[in-house]
Amino acid sequence: MNTDIAVGQTAPNTPGWLARLVDRYSWLVVILVALFLVTFFYGMVTAPNFLTLFNFKTIIRDAALVGIMAVGLTFVTLSGNFFLLSMKETAALAIIAFATAMSQGYGFELAFLFTMAVAVIAGGLQGILIGLGGNPIVVTLGAAGLFFGVASWWSDNLVVSFRRPHGAEWLGSGSFLGLPNITVAFIIIAVVAELVLRYTNFGRQVYLIGANRAAGKATGHENFSMAIKTCIIASACSAFVAIAFSAQVSSAHVNYFSSSFGSSGDMTILVIATVMVAGNSIMGGFGSSLRSSLGAVFISTVDNMMVLHGFNSGPRVLAVGLMIVFSIIVFALVRRGSRVQE
Amino acid sequence: MTPLLKLSSVKRSYGAIHALKGVDFEILPGEVMGLVGENGAGKSTLVKVISGFDNGFTGDYELNGAPVRFSHPGKAEQAGIAIAQQELSLIPTMSVAENIFMAGHNVPTFANKQSLIKKSRPYLEEVGLEAIDPSVGVDRLSVGEQHLVEVARLIAHDPQVLILDEPTAALGESDSIRILNMVKRLSERGKSIIYVSHRMDEIFKITDRITVLRDGESQEPRAASTLDVNSLVELMLGFELGNMFPEREPLGETASLMNIRDLWPDGLLESVNFDVHPGEILGLAGQLGSGSGEILAAIAGARKTRSGALEYGGESFLPKNPKQAIDKGIAYCSEDRKHDGLFLGRPIRENVSAPSLGSISKMGVMSHKAEASLATDIAEKFTVDVNRLGQDAGVLSGGNQQKVALGKWLSINPKIILVNEPTRGVDVGARAEIYQKLRALAADGAAIVIASTDIQEISNLPDRVITFYRGMQIGEIGLADMTAANILKQITDPFNETNL
Repeated sequence: MNTDIAVGQTAPNTPGWLARLVDRYSWLVVILVALFLVTFFYGMVTAPNFLTLFNFKTIIRDAALVGIMAVGLTFVTLSGNFFLLSMKETAALAIIAFATAMSQGYGFELAFLFTMAVAVIAGGLQGILIGLGGNPIVVTLGAAGLFFGVASWWSDNLVVSFRRPHGAEWLGSGSFLGLPNITVAFIIIAVVAELVLRYTNFGRQVYLIGANRAAGKATGHENFSMAIKTCIIASACSAFVAIAFSAQVSSAHVNYFSSSFGSSGDMTILVIATVMVAGNSIMGGFGSSLRSSLGAVFISTVDNMMVLHGFNSGPRVLAVGLMIVFSIIVFALVRRGSRVQE
Repeated sequence: MTPLLKLSSVKRSYGAIHALKGVDFEILPGEVMGLVGENGAGKSTLVKVISGFDNGFTGDYELNGAPVRFSHPGKAEQAGIAIAQQELSLIPTMSVAENIFMAGHNVPTFANKQSLIKKSRPYLEEVGLEAIDPSVGVDRLSVGEQHLVEVARLIAHDPQVLILDEPTAALGESDSIRILNMVKRLSERGKSIIYVSHRMDEIFKITDRITVLRDGESQEPRAASTLDVNSLVELMLGFELGNMFPEREPLGETASLMNIRDLWPDGLLESVNFDVHPGEILGLAGQLGSGSGEILAAIAGARKTRSGALEYGGESFLPKNPKQAIDKGIAYCSEDRKHDGLFLGRPIRENVSAPSLGSISKMGVMSHKAEASLATDIAEKFTVDVNRLGQDAGVLSGGNQQKVALGKWLSINPKIILVNEPTRGVDVGARAEIYQKLRALAADGAAIVIASTDIQEISNLPDRVITFYRGMQIGEIGLADMTAANILKQITDPFNETNL
């Protein structure tokens, strides 16, 4: 009957190669890599110690600790549940749990499992509250206080130490083919996370729910279980970093991730910066584990170079802050450019 | 009497779309002029032109005999043209009195709350809100009362012409009556009122004359007393019903596929009962607020339901969430595809496979190859360019988006397909395709249930129509009696004895 109506018209504008290159946010990756190279060469030229094997190991070790936590947090962010503001405190709780178990002589394996169990509970509780509709910022800020309080009470705010050999040296200071084992762990975790995001139903659900929670629900993917799962992943990654850190120094203190760590002196901010600086969508639905890993290496390199140049913590915090602001602006601009007006 | 406001041969185009193709419109002092027309007939564009929101038109616009052209809505307001839009512009947390004087007209620069309250009383009386306390927050009032406050706010500027754009669309019966009473009172006091509405009963109750818009053109205004519902519908629709709808043939008797028993979704006045048959397109007809869309959402587990059950596949159940409905083969497209129908920032391919990740994966690991072939398959069926499957759904046109939003459900091989407003915001070509596709799906044995406020669509696509009015199930219309006029009577004015 309706032969007079043109059917099947589709817009003819298939993008060209340049458009495809610019498509999405890949500019951000390009810029990030370029900035990394600039930083790298600048460091090479200006800081005599920059290009030594020891310094290289320092960089990738720092990048590994921040990077593992960032990869974990990436799941939360990609699924549209923003950030966990309790990353640092989860690590503090985990490090006390681990060191306490070690000091009681339970051995590495049991202590590891115990610490992971604590992390799963900590992440799961936050996930349940967020999944039920709690604001992630409020929930995890509250959880942060709770975890830090428990850890600090549990340890009497003292250093908990345990004797070498304790069976965890391989994770703390061991190496494999010249790479610190923690770095090997980082690479493995980042790659596995990337594969999970790309090739599993769970990974796809992370993206779908993050891209549009209502549409996710309408197609049978509830955020409730997603929030729990991603929070547990982030929490477990935090705990893993805590264990590795404790294994290296054979001790634990609740403030290890607050004061003597990284550039900004605050692990949570550093981890969030790492996730954001590589252009993972803050609202969820776009990004990857690879981006967060790249962000970790970038931030560590910049930070390392500033240390070698004798900057104290103030300017280094400022640098991290500038990187976040920069990435947000570029992210917003690229995003606007890539969207077709409707 | 010379018209207070007069537009002649006004035209307005947006790109290739001619929203107004030559509209004459006038209103006399103290007159209530009804403005009616189908969705897309140009009512809102005309309202925008009159109220200064749109000055890109051609043609003449005279106010009190002098030609005018408003560069922005503020100028129109100064000239005495006020508009109450469907979206209220009140600040919910501030008091009624503060909202009325929000723009700062007729009040001293430094006014205290007491003086505002005192000054607001006459305006509130004028709209019939003398009983409320002007010091309470607007958010404490009912939606209907908020509409009245909005009008009171406009009256405070002493407008000559007041435009009410579907003021009762979201209101229940009692609030609607208050609005109608207010209109009567204001017109008695000499205000001219342009009343835009879909509701036939209201139009006849309060308007003096009616201007009908059809397809961007105006009809000669007619006195309301010379028209009845039938002749008005005829004017609205014209005689050129589109040929975009697939042919319908009477369906044979079949056993029902699903029985909806005493289903009472939140938002309806009472529970509903009906059966759905395989191979048919069932239409749920009703205006905004009739509850027809809510019924679809309830069947799909996407809306809270007080009670009731679905008898389907030998069991009686009520899905608690969309997932449970999907598992039973029930697909549901809501009326707002951008809200929950599409992942705009994800590729089309992923949109299409979203409901059926299980079918393209083994042990939780997905095959991108299987996904690509699934997506290609569906895209071909829905005539979406298969070369674009890697692009974000957000870059598609409205019509193609709707095809993806609907087409994604084919991946679960649904037995029952529920579609609320199947062609909202969709161009004519894509509309025809969607109608054909729905008909083809029904022919393959699926049961299709659509809810629509588009009278042309609801009277030409379904095999059977069930009508709803303000949260109540009214009646059923078979193929033989399915005319736009019959449906309109039941969904706009069912309790008028001559109509049932």
